[in-house]
Amino acid sequence: MSRAFLLALFGIVAFGLWGLGAQPNVAVYVYNSEVMIFWDPSDTYSNEIIAMNNMYEQLIRYDPLTDSFQPVLAESYEKSADGLTWTFYLRKGVKFHTGNELTAEAVKFSIERTIERGMGASYIWAPVEEIEVVDRYTVRFHLKYPAPLDLIASGAYAAFVFDPEYSDHEWFAAGNDSGTGPYTVEAWKPGDYLILKKFDDYWRGWEGKHFDKVIFKVVPEPSTRRLMLEAGTADYTNMLPITEIEALKDNPEVEIVTTPSFQNLLALFNTQKPPLDNVLVRRALAYTIPYQDIIEGVRFGYARQSRGVVPYGLWGYSDRVKQYTYSLEAARFYLAQAGYPEGGFKLLLTHVAGDEDERRVAELWKSTLAELGIELEIRGMPWEAQVELGQAPDPTKRQDIFLFYWWPDYPHPHSFLREMFGTRDEILFNFTYYSNPVFDELIARAEELAGIDRTEAINLYVEAQNILMEEAPGVAIYDLKYARAKRTSLKGYVDNPAYPHVVFWYECWREE
Amino acid sequence: MGIYVYVTRRLFLSLIVLCGVSILTFLLTRVVPSRPEILWVGPRATAEQIAKAREILGLDKPLYQQYLMYIGAFVRGDWGISIRTKQPVLRDIGSRLPASLELILVSMFLAVLFGLPLGILSAAKAGTVLDHLGRLVSVAGVALPAFWLGMILQLVFAKELKLLPLAERVDTITLLLNPLKHITGFYLIDSLLSGNFVVFIDALKHLVLPAVTLSTYPLGLTVRMARATLLEVLGEDYIRTARAYGLREAKVLGKYALKNALGPVITVLALTFAYSLAATFLVESVFAWPGLGRYASEAIMVVDYPAIMGITMLVAFTYVALNLVVDVMLAVLDPRIRLE
Repeated sequence: MSRAFLLALFGIVAFGLWGLGAQPNVAVYVYNSEVMIFWDPSDTYSNEIIAMNNMYEQLIRYDPLTDSFQPVLAESYEKSADGLTWTFYLRKGVKFHTGNELTAEAVKFSIERTIERGMGASYIWAPVEEIEVVDRYTVRFHLKYPAPLDLIASGAYAAFVFDPEYSDHEWFAAGNDSGTGPYTVEAWKPGDYLILKKFDDYWRGWEGKHFDKVIFKVVPEPSTRRLMLEAGTADYTNMLPITEIEALKDNPEVEIVTTPSFQNLLALFNTQKPPLDNVLVRRALAYTIPYQDIIEGVRFGYARQSRGVVPYGLWGYSDRVKQYTYSLEAARFYLAQAGYPEGGFKLLLTHVAGDEDERRVAELWKSTLAELGIELEIRGMPWEAQVELGQAPDPTKRQDIFLFYWWPDYPHPHSFLREMFGTRDEILFNFTYYSNPVFDELIARAEELAGIDRTEAINLYVEAQNILMEEAPGVAIYDLKYARAKRTSLKGYVDNPAYPHVVFWYECWREE
Repeated sequence: MGIYVYVTRRLFLSLIVLCGVSILTFLLTRVVPSRPEILWVGPRATAEQIAKAREILGLDKPLYQQYLMYIGAFVRGDWGISIRTKQPVLRDIGSRLPASLELILVSMFLAVLFGLPLGILSAAKAGTVLDHLGRLVSVAGVALPAFWLGMILQLVFAKELKLLPLAERVDTITLLLNPLKHITGFYLIDSLLSGNFVVFIDALKHLVLPAVTLSTYPLGLTVRMARATLLEVLGEDYIRTARAYGLREAKVLGKYALKNALGPVITVLALTFAYSLAATFLVESVFAWPGLGRYASEAIMVVDYPAIMGITMLVAFTYVALNLVVDVMLAVLDPRIRLE
């Protein structure tokens, strides 16, 4: 063998090994899309919450699995008996990344600024009448009407507290932060990565095992994300197609974490357009959905059939709510009663183009409808176009079935009931065009009670959902289960569905 | 016609082309059903938020007025704000362009390095096994879908053999340990200039797979063009004469044939360069390459019209400019070509 050949071989091997060595204490989260959309903590409403929840903190944080609140910036809080006054006692000695101290004034300023800017999810603060600074470390919220302010204040969006002295919108937009969280911005390259470094003066300290830095990488291609996870160049990814998840299952170096999400897939029926203006036809339709086939065939078991419209795991979900089953006999019965024994009509279903799960659900449904002589036209559209058609002035020009996912802005069942089924003057998300004063009254009372008497509120929500089951203005098909893929060596990770796709990196460490 | 008059006329015509492209793209992005204001404020916006966004984005004005406002600002260097990233489009493009250019330049280099000799050999040894091989490479290069090839290369060289990195432009952790001074935005050049050899090697390793993937099309085209034009030239009388004089084949090929055959190859290469700007869309997605192609495909997915406009104008400008440069260059190189 010639010397040149050996030399070349050595060169190739050296080239391949170059750069391998001790890895610093850095975690890598690979994400499918641009991470930082909004930098302004008041405006936040998009992907950035996965990073922001590590840079900023709320007064309290919600744990839906135990239905309890963890103190964060507030050590404790209390509410008045009428649910109209909420007092939060702040932790002392908490520093912003800017070096300034957290005070009641800062909390007041942050929330008021968020409300004033009126962007993103700021409307969650709608019940707030006034914010009062009682003393340096006590802040009191006065509400217009009773509301569960603990749930609002723990929101994944719009509930961050920041330093009033560093709150210029342009300054934020340039890639800066002024939170109190464990990590702060080190570097940001739009479209490529965001690097967070630990904030030395973090109030919980840095004893024990923690990552020094966290990298958020933008990797759009799912197969690349999967390979990076397998190769160990990534620690965590939030969403992979089910087929990739299935392929990763047998790899001992990768772990799949499954959690119920607060997200469900809904089919909303156009109650103002024949034949779905007839409750009997709507009921028949609810019986034609092959629920189990969809869960097995489309979601590979990563979902469970919905019961009512509030997803499993969120308070307001109850076994007392009726559930439809797949039964073509029942469907035939209701169709015959409605005067369509042979079917003989056509329906238009719209869904978001590019969402494979939605398309496959529609395809499966189409085949069962065909057995009853009902033709289903499936139209995948960009979200904006789907909304535009749904908001067309003439109800008969709109779709018959609007298929889409819904999730709450903060963990409250109200969003599922009011937005899609409550009477609205202007169509925003009520693509059922449903209006029922009895239902409206029930959910309004439930919302008021939510901050005072949770049990009674749940009773009312159960009653309201049973009305929806009876009148069938729409059906929730399945509650999604999140399947996260992470390196087995990554420890401390808990998936909290109230903060979708967020990894609280301070809680995590790597075990070699 | 003098070269200055020619260039001036071409510049004027180019301006008309660019104007046409801008109008067409502007119309197309607006004809497609989309609600940019919803993208701007987020999926759950209230009616007031949407109305406010329409005002901010100028969507409440008539279409022609929107276009005039856009083009007026465009000329002044304000390419609008991307609806998706909320950043100025020009800054977005500026921060992603070097990544794409670096990838394209390296892939073009590979295409020429391997394509040209293969094309020449293929023509010189027409009809032999070598020629068949050359033709196979050229057909495969043009026909293989880049994203498929990219994934296969990832599976073989990154996953199985573990020789090369899977994706990204440089390992972020390596970059953290060896911070790179940004001078040109080209990692290879910047790391060399600042003597940061760790990053240089790492960036080079990361470049191999995407560059090879992206080079297949220009490589195939180079082989094919070089072979075809060379074969044509080799059939000319003056080549027969040269051979009749008993000149060595290498001299005939290298000195007399090649010179006349290279013109069309250069033209094609220049155009493939502009083509590569668009071809990176898929390659950059597969390799998580933070360049313009990925930015473009993400913009198109959500009809982020200021970003789409910006990229289209840039690609159109590149095409027009390269065409002009190549035409002028060929005219200068080859006195037989007249500028008309």
